[in-house]
Amino acid sequence: MLAVSGVRKNFYGFTALDGVELHVEPGSFHALVGPNGAGKTTLFNVIVGRYRPDAGEVRLAGKRITGWPTHRVVRSGLGISFQRAQAFLSMSVLDNVTLAVLAQEGLTRNGLRPLANFPEARSKARELLDWVGLEERTHEPAESLPLGDLKRVDIAMALAGMPRLLLLDEPLAGLSRSERREMVRFIEELLRGLGLTLLFTEHDTEAVLRLADRITVLHQGRVLAEGTPDEIKNDARVIEAFLGE
Amino acid sequence: MKTHGALYLVATLLLAAPWLLPDYALEVAVQALILALFATAFNLVFAETGLLSFGHAAFFGAGAYASALLMQRASWPYLTTLPAAVLTAGLLALIIGFFSVRTSRIYFTMLTLAFAQLVWAVVHKWYAFTGGDNGITGLHPGALWGDVRALYYLALALFALGFALVRMLHHSPFGYALRAIRDNPARAEAVGLSPFGYLLAAFSFSGALAGAAGFLQVAWQRSAFPDFLYWTKSAEAIIAAILGGAQALFGPALGSLVFVELGAFVQARTEYWPLVLGLVLLALVLFLPRGLAGLGGRRARG
Repeated sequence: MLAVSGVRKNFYGFTALDGVELHVEPGSFHALVGPNGAGKTTLFNVIVGRYRPDAGEVRLAGKRITGWPTHRVVRSGLGISFQRAQAFLSMSVLDNVTLAVLAQEGLTRNGLRPLANFPEARSKARELLDWVGLEERTHEPAESLPLGDLKRVDIAMALAGMPRLLLLDEPLAGLSRSERREMVRFIEELLRGLGLTLLFTEHDTEAVLRLADRITVLHQGRVLAEGTPDEIKNDARVIEAFLGE
Repeated sequence: MKTHGALYLVATLLLAAPWLLPDYALEVAVQALILALFATAFNLVFAETGLLSFGHAAFFGAGAYASALLMQRASWPYLTTLPAAVLTAGLLALIIGFFSVRTSRIYFTMLTLAFAQLVWAVVHKWYAFTGGDNGITGLHPGALWGDVRALYYLALALFALGFALVRMLHHSPFGYALRAIRDNPARAEAVGLSPFGYLLAAFSFSGALAGAAGFLQVAWQRSAFPDFLYWTKSAEAIIAAILGGAQALFGPALGSLVFVELGAFVQARTEYWPLVLGLVLLALVLFLPRGLAGLGGRRARG
């Protein structure tokens, strides 16, 4: 589904990514872990087109997307949800998701008809909000939502184009213990149910081991290990890298 | 229902004004309508995209000079110069916007200011073409548009049209896309929006509308002057928008009315208008940050 090969990225002489390989199988949940500064965020930004890699390539479902701008990558089947839950705070929850649906359909250039008069996009947005469990809050302003709900809005927006691959950057960051449990259950139920391919980063080891089918460990800009959760848990290099910090 | 009633009342008053007001007051009302159109155009960029343009005088002036030059040199009838005025201003906005909308915040403001002052300098010095600092005077908009009542209705019609267009954009997906880019550019890109095109389109359209305001100014003054492009003209739109409340669609128009009427009132009595204006703005920023529209409740959007 996603193939990253030989990706290298330097920042002013500092090598953030040093020949990274990553293969995400269709239908799998793939976790990307590593200590801070390992290159997770840089790799994410290369995949979503925010950074252009110095070498290597990124393919999405076989199509080469290296160096494409974000808005184009997103409209070719990649859904993105950010670490810091982000919505358009001046709008209602429903308007946020409706806009995301219209953007996927290329209808946001329309300046003539009110947004509220796009019934198909409206009902699609309602369905997405239904999926993420926010059907009761559609008309609330996004700015009034707690963080956990904002993350759900963010995920609903990321799903607007029925992406082949969903990227979640630290979906649990900033949540309380109980919210975390709920979010893990939510990701499992919803995204498995939809048959989505998922690539995510997360610091919460417990959640990673529970959610992931495969784990890639990044360390100092390189892939240190890759395997199933059981393999990674028992990998001597991984243990050394994490405990040796 | 209540808002509809108020709307009808305002519309009736605006339509009846030429029969209620003496000529002098009507002259002032035309000036208020011109500023209202200009400030509404400015606010399309300011409120929807969050970018503060300090260069809208260039588009106001481009519209005015396009109209004045065609009347003076090609003897076009006044009204037929409107499309040219709008187009010239829109085109200039497209060029300036192309270089400016990529930048953010203070850089955008400084860049638009610099471009506008550049255009002003050219108009101010190019005696052979624009008349330099003498401007273009002695224009005759024709018997009809020389009458202040007719000009009032023309200004009212253009303002109403401009307001309706801005309102339509505000409620459309395009308007939502602009506000999404304003709220959070990174997220906007991640839902598939490419900011540049949206910002440039909004900026150009706003410039074109400002050109229509400049076109009206030519008939009102029967002249065009480099002052139309000077930065203080840009400031008028900014002050009107902030005075009335930039977050309300009708805010800039309301602010224009107060700005022009208050200005006329104070200037007839003292020479301290800038001082009064300064105090009004100070009070406003301190006590009513959402402008006069903020008096009407939190969600005063049309």
